[in-house]
Amino acid sequence: MEQSEPRIDYGIYEVFVQKSHGDFHIHVGSVAAPSPDLALQTARENFLRRDRAVNLWIVPRKHVYATPYDDPDFFARETDRKYREVGGYTENGRLWRMFKEKALHLEDIVRSLRDLEGNQKPTE
Amino acid sequence: MGDASRFERFMERLHRGEKIEATDWMPDEYRQLLLKLIHMHAVSEIMGALPEKEWVPKAPTLKRKLAIMAKVQDEMGHGQLLLRVAEDLAAPLGKTREDLVTDVITGRVKFHNVFHMEAPTWADAGVIGWLVDGAAIINQAALLDTSYGPYARVLKRICAEESFHMQHGENIILALARGTEEQRAMLQDAVNRWWESLLFFFGPVEVTDAARRMIEYKIRTKTNEELRQQFFNKYVPRIRSLGLTIPDPELRYDEQEKRWIYTQPDWKKFGEIVRENKGPKSRERIALRRFAHMDQRWVRAALARYSEPEFVG
Ligand SMILES: [Fe+2]
Ligand SMILES: [Fe+2]
Repeated sequence: MEQSEPRIDYGIYEVFVQKSHGDFHIHVGSVAAPSPDLALQTARENFLRRDRAVNLWIVPRKHVYATPYDDPDFFARETDRKYREVGGYTENGRLWRMFKEKALHLEDIVRSLRDLEGNQKPTE
Repeated sequence: MGDASRFERFMERLHRGEKIEATDWMPDEYRQLLLKLIHMHAVSEIMGALPEKEWVPKAPTLKRKLAIMAKVQDEMGHGQLLLRVAEDLAAPLGKTREDLVTDVITGRVKFHNVFHMEAPTWADAGVIGWLVDGAAIINQAALLDTSYGPYARVLKRICAEESFHMQHGENIILALARGTEEQRAMLQDAVNRWWESLLFFFGPVEVTDAARRMIEYKIRTKTNEELRQQFFNKYVPRIRSLGLTIPDPELRYDEQEKRWIYTQPDWKKFGEIVRENKGPKSRERIALRRFAHMDQRWVRAALARYSEPEFVG
């Protein structure tokens, strides 16, 4: 390569794919491209050769603010957070059985609501 | 493209089950209905944290204190997520986040009736977690299939956190239900206090014009009454299994009609509570919200002075 040739600088863009309208955009990697438009094209070629998606975001890497990896304190948490999680209340099932009933879960509600849809499809 | 054909294309998209995104064209009516719904939802999350917040310093054990504090945090977080969705809808109408937040202080946006009520005992904290969250979860789960993408996505996250709220509420009331006579009586009192409010929470039986339009726009897919019936299905047997009674002598399941028959809540009374902020705790909680918002104004102003640094590649 000729010493005198000017260097070609591509920008680095981080790529976020939204797989369906029900999903948020999720980071999948990055591409090098000369412009945002071409970064979108390149991202499609690199990341969506098989997977389906409804939307793509590319963000110039220099616009990403990140935490340093060598600062674990940033993510420090008290040792036990069970009180904040569904898994911290597994005794509910046993307690309800004392009353001859079952614990109720979000999935039960979502299921009954969707069943309702099957039975009484709103007329259009 | 003319407005009429744009509208037609929009409705076709809805009928195909497509989701609408913030950047898509949408009819003004769709935007207004959504904004009203999500704005009230957002504000109700924030106001809804206040009755339980009252119990943070008085929770009976350290574990209960941590758990209820975690829940209050979640509700505030839900308010934040929803405000972002509302804000993007409101921007083309010239409304800002500040407007959306202060509307509750000036009474321009309503919040749910249940958050205007008193929570005088620890059993109320439990019943709020169990039944008020239970009712709210039925409402929110029914909205998971909404036609507006940004709302659907945020609701998915909110519902995941609500699963913890369900178990948390059940755990408190199960402890009380297995407790002393006094504790059981306290629990029964709280159920009595909340029952009517809970029925009102789902809204009027008749399908109002706005509700009908929301169903046509697939913003929601269920009627108020369908959701209230779901609430009965899920909670009446559980309340009774604990040996508690429900303060409604008319309440029964009609096998023929396949639905619960119940005494109507006092629609007029609760309607006034919500519209005119006339509930037992409305004024006090709005005053607290105003104080929190105004007292910290200087902090927001100081932080806003931060200007974005030059990005370095
Ligand atoms: Fe919530
Ligand atoms: Fe909740």
